[in-house]
Amino acid sequence: MLLLGGAPARFAPARPAAGPAGTIGAVAAAVEVDHLHKRYGPLEAVVDVSFAVEEGEVFALLGPNGAGKTTTLEILWGLRQRDGGSVRVLGHDPARHERAVRERVGVVLQELALEPMLTVREVLARNASFYPHPRPVDEVIELVGLSEKADARVRSLSGGQQRRLDVGLGIVGDPELVFLDEPTTGFDPSARRGAWELVRALSGEGTTVILTTHYMDEAEALADRVGVIAAGRIVALSSPATLGGRDTSEAHVRFRLPPGHDPSELPSLPVPVRRLAGGVLELASNDEVHLLHVLTGWAEATATPLLGLTVERMTLEDVYLRLTTDPAPADRSAR
Amino acid sequence: MTAASAPAAGRRSLADLRRSDWRIVLTQLRYEQLAFWRNRFGAVFTIGFSVLFLVLLGSSGGTQRLQSLLGLRAIQYYTAGFAAYGVMSACFNTLAISLVNRREMGLLKRLRISPLPTPALLAAILGNAAVIAVAQVVVLLVIGRLAYHVELPHAWGALAVDVAAGVLCFTVLGVAVSTLIPNQEAAGPIVSIVYFVLLFLSGLWFPLEKGSALARISAWFPVRHLIVATFAPFDLRPGVSPWAWHDIFAMAVWGLAGLVVALRRFRWEPSRR
Repeated sequence: MLLLGGAPARFAPARPAAGPAGTIGAVAAAVEVDHLHKRYGPLEAVVDVSFAVEEGEVFALLGPNGAGKTTTLEILWGLRQRDGGSVRVLGHDPARHERAVRERVGVVLQELALEPMLTVREVLARNASFYPHPRPVDEVIELVGLSEKADARVRSLSGGQQRRLDVGLGIVGDPELVFLDEPTTGFDPSARRGAWELVRALSGEGTTVILTTHYMDEAEALADRVGVIAAGRIVALSSPATLGGRDTSEAHVRFRLPPGHDPSELPSLPVPVRRLAGGVLELASNDEVHLLHVLTGWAEATATPLLGLTVERMTLEDVYLRLTTDPAPADRSAR
Repeated sequence: MTAASAPAAGRRSLADLRRSDWRIVLTQLRYEQLAFWRNRFGAVFTIGFSVLFLVLLGSSGGTQRLQSLLGLRAIQYYTAGFAAYGVMSACFNTLAISLVNRREMGLLKRLRISPLPTPALLAAILGNAAVIAVAQVVVLLVIGRLAYHVELPHAWGALAVDVAAGVLCFTVLGVAVSTLIPNQEAAGPIVSIVYFVLLFLSGLWFPLEKGSALARISAWFPVRHLIVATFAPFDLRPGVSPWAWHDIFAMAVWGLAGLVVALRRFRWEPSRR
């Protein structure tokens, strides 16, 4: 959707290094959340959440609905007061509602909220007037791919076009930090790719991006780091590739034997063989190189094909599901 | 640090606006106006009604002299009354419904997250209501004068003060009422019922006798006071003062009460469904 061909070039001159706010020693943190706590009456929406997002990072916040994601974000946006812990956005406390911070942050909410009677250009120009150094309105219109619709009234736009305009409102202030709350929910695959391109372009410019998503491929494609929230706590915090130890987890080797062959013919293997549906055999091992060596050596020697041979580690989704459906809370806090 | 030590969020007043912020206010006012006039339905309902009523009454015996007005022509009263109606429509009715709509659509939440200062937003909303209100007063005066030979007030200052008091009082009440309405579906019916019942009780369509039961009941509500105050400069009988200080004071009291409700209850976010 976003970005017509070649548009990333428009981002070319990277913004000069962001201001001193949020700098801690040499490492600048765009967002710091430390032991955040929030309750609504008897309900503990956020029990204990801590994480930091560095300047220029793309950070994905994952978690099931009701896990405390939205509450955490709303506290970061200054919409809600926290009950405990500390929060810093670009070096400032969002609860103080400082305008200087708001001028440097862009937010794209999940729900659409657009003035129906104004045109695309007017809506963007109106919001641009809130900021001291906005992006030129025409540039934003082009970035979100609405050039054809620049003078159309908002209510005449399709749902997808309205969402693009909404994204445009999030970046019209030329923010240093952008929040995208489920930016591609309901998008068709090509629109999603377009949105990803925009995130990459923003990131390439040095903009810090914090996004939430329910799509694991999206987190994997975009995020430098992901944080997983479950039941009001951060249960994992790392790069998508290493989340939940998936890089060092056991590899699963799967294959089928041709008809007429039986698993009992296999040579002696370091791990037990499991039978899955459809005649698939599975071996789980931390030393899959050795395992494959034994297995393929036998296959070569006996001229037995290993049909549909695959070697797989846990997908991000596997890890995510394991982390967010873990029934033992004590185990969570330990991590 | 804890949240408790964080100072109250966003409590700023008009005095805190930077000089450049007045430009932001004017920009907002411009877009508020654009959005209002483009919504033909809303514009017709707000402006068209007062004109329609005046013309209907003017062409159906409204030009007769009335006992209850000590021999003044009824149209003299109706012109003032519908000018007051116009002020209330713009500031109370239209504003309350539009605020509920904007809140429930999430537009207010979005503005809350943006750096637009709250006082600038409120100034633009008030300014927008004031422009629509004044436009209606002018239109009604022109029609009243040209079509029905209404005698225009000599004390224009008094009329200006009445309109200003009405704009302030009913804008605040509009904001206050919007905080009491749970959702968009309820907004139109609730506001219209409250508004039209009060208009009726307050003698908009038929001048109330001084001291009558209705006059005493409606004196408790601000609608009656705006109608009476707006009529005062049009009441050109000798010895009658164009300055209705008592009614302006009553509106001020209502305005302050509305302000308390508005400040305590104002919400930026849609109600949870």
